[in-house]
Amino acid sequence: MSNATLYSVSYDLVHAVLFAIGSVLPAPLHGWIESDGLVTGLAVLVFGVILLAASMLNTILLIWWERKLLGRFMDRRGAMHVGYAGLLQNFADGFKLFRKDTVRPREADPLGFVTGPTAYMVTSMIMFGILPISSGWNSGALPLSLLLALAVFSFAPLFIFVSAWSSNNKYSLMGGMRSAAQMIAYEVPLLLAVVAVVIVAGSFDLTTIVYEQQNYWFWGPLFVALVVFVAGMLAEMERIPFDLPEAEAELVEGWNTEYGGMLFAFFMLADYLRALVGSILVVLLFLGGWTMPSWVPSVATSFPLAGIVWFMVKTYAVFGVFIWIRASLPRVRTDQLLRVGWNRMIPLSLLSVFLAAALVTVKCLPVFGCVPSPGI
Amino acid sequence: MTDSTTTDETTNDTTTGGSVLWVARPMATAARQFAKSLFRPSTIVYPYERLEDPKFREKVEVASGKPIGVGQIWDNYRGVHALNIATCISCNLCAFSCPDICIDMVTVPGGDPKHPKKCPQIDYGKCSFCGFCSDACPEGCLTMTTRYGLTTSKRAEMVYSPQRLYDVYRTKLPMNPIRLARPENEDSILLDPPLCIGCNACARDCPTQCITMLDVPKPEAKPGEKLPKRIWKEPVVNDSDCVRCGTCISVCPKECLFWGTRK
Repeated sequence: MSNATLYSVSYDLVHAVLFAIGSVLPAPLHGWIESDGLVTGLAVLVFGVILLAASMLNTILLIWWERKLLGRFMDRRGAMHVGYAGLLQNFADGFKLFRKDTVRPREADPLGFVTGPTAYMVTSMIMFGILPISSGWNSGALPLSLLLALAVFSFAPLFIFVSAWSSNNKYSLMGGMRSAAQMIAYEVPLLLAVVAVVIVAGSFDLTTIVYEQQNYWFWGPLFVALVVFVAGMLAEMERIPFDLPEAEAELVEGWNTEYGGMLFAFFMLADYLRALVGSILVVLLFLGGWTMPSWVPSVATSFPLAGIVWFMVKTYAVFGVFIWIRASLPRVRTDQLLRVGWNRMIPLSLLSVFLAAALVTVKCLPVFGCVPSPGI
Repeated sequence: MTDSTTTDETTNDTTTGGSVLWVARPMATAARQFAKSLFRPSTIVYPYERLEDPKFREKVEVASGKPIGVGQIWDNYRGVHALNIATCISCNLCAFSCPDICIDMVTVPGGDPKHPKKCPQIDYGKCSFCGFCSDACPEGCLTMTTRYGLTTSKRAEMVYSPQRLYDVYRTKLPMNPIRLARPENEDSILLDPPLCIGCNACARDCPTQCITMLDVPKPEAKPGEKLPKRIWKEPVVNDSDCVRCGTCISVCPKECLFWGTRK
């Protein structure tokens, strides 16, 4: 494994470009262009732009993936006209939303109405910057990156509620309240399921958690935690069957009823960005991240960027399961949702924590999923 | 009241042992549907795939292993008309029978200059595709086909001239074979002899040439009586050739022809 990381690649790129420009410039500019501060600053900028582009590209691809897969579940085709198999359809939709005017209701609060979706979008993007995709695509070894990711992830209900409140619309407000109630109810079991993973892995660092799974992925020994985590993640992402805040049959469009144009696109993108982040978290915590079991031939795991490729394959597969659930299950009622959240999910997650602690104590982690491998 | 609430609670309790099935059963159903439509969903991508295209149907039937079972609906489909100009006798019956008044009889080239040949021109902006015209056509030259694509961007293009209808005819699309049988006791064209002046207009304009002008004897004028000034001929209609178009009645200057039951 080479030591090239995303930041070092962008640093080298900026370094090469700036030194090529500096070599043809006169002396004072030459020194300024090649100064370390400028190179570092621009490298950070390029790094961020790459992250932004990757997150947006994957988000839009995820929407395409959902449209196609959901179509197959419903015996139809999904988007198919713009681009190959409709790949560019969502870009076209995005451009349409870009061009539209942003209409703000007269009684709406201007500050909250605009900052709500923007902050929702920004916090979702920060998530993508925190999570490691491969050993190279890694924004620094933060010792508590899992905690940071979950903390940023749970900002969302606040911003949803802010935008719902400032919309000054009863449907928006009801959707926002439901969203807050639901997200808080499912935050607890979600975190407890994560605690089980942390107990087994012995670290809050996502990179360490992934490398702990080189020998066996955690979905086997921590299956209860996986179930709780996926259910909680579905509720956090507000996807069917837990899409009560957006219940279009009763609440028009929930908390984004009043939004259109670019602000609606923010909500839409942030929703799918959160879905992407949720799938990535499932892969990181339970499915071994970018590592592959040893029975996979080394040809399939040793080509350049193999880690990223396998990681994205797993991520899209996990999101495929989310789509499968969406295609199968009807929306639950509020009381069912909250009862399952508080009465069943929390005991289950406590059980998973207990199981994880027991497994660590007796030092007999059953080997599921894969046999020991030297790792990638 | 209490009972119903309790029942509701127990049946809707997603957390009992049945909850796994509540999730697993619909997911299995969805997975089956997914597997079925993975390679070819039932959707027909309309502008590119058309059911009436035999190649496409063959492809789908080979892929799915069974006939798609829509062949029968095409047999009496009422789509765009096809007109065989060569056999059209300009009888006007289609225009008469049209409830939407969307058929105009327009002159087509190739007729006698004195009596130009007229064929139907159909305005599909008004047409309701009832099929009365093709039912009324005595020669079977105006039929309905399975063509349905009428979309244009100009209103004028909705009007199909006889030549365009003939072009549809030449595509040999499946024609609507259902034709009404002629009624048993059809009225015939009858003549009120005292009114007739023997002008030959009916025989001249009859599209099937089933009217013959026969001589009638010129009566002897009684003293003091003035014979009417006329040609001493009278039309005789051959009922087996007559298509009951009524052209003779409408051209008769003296209104001496009328519908009636021949004794």
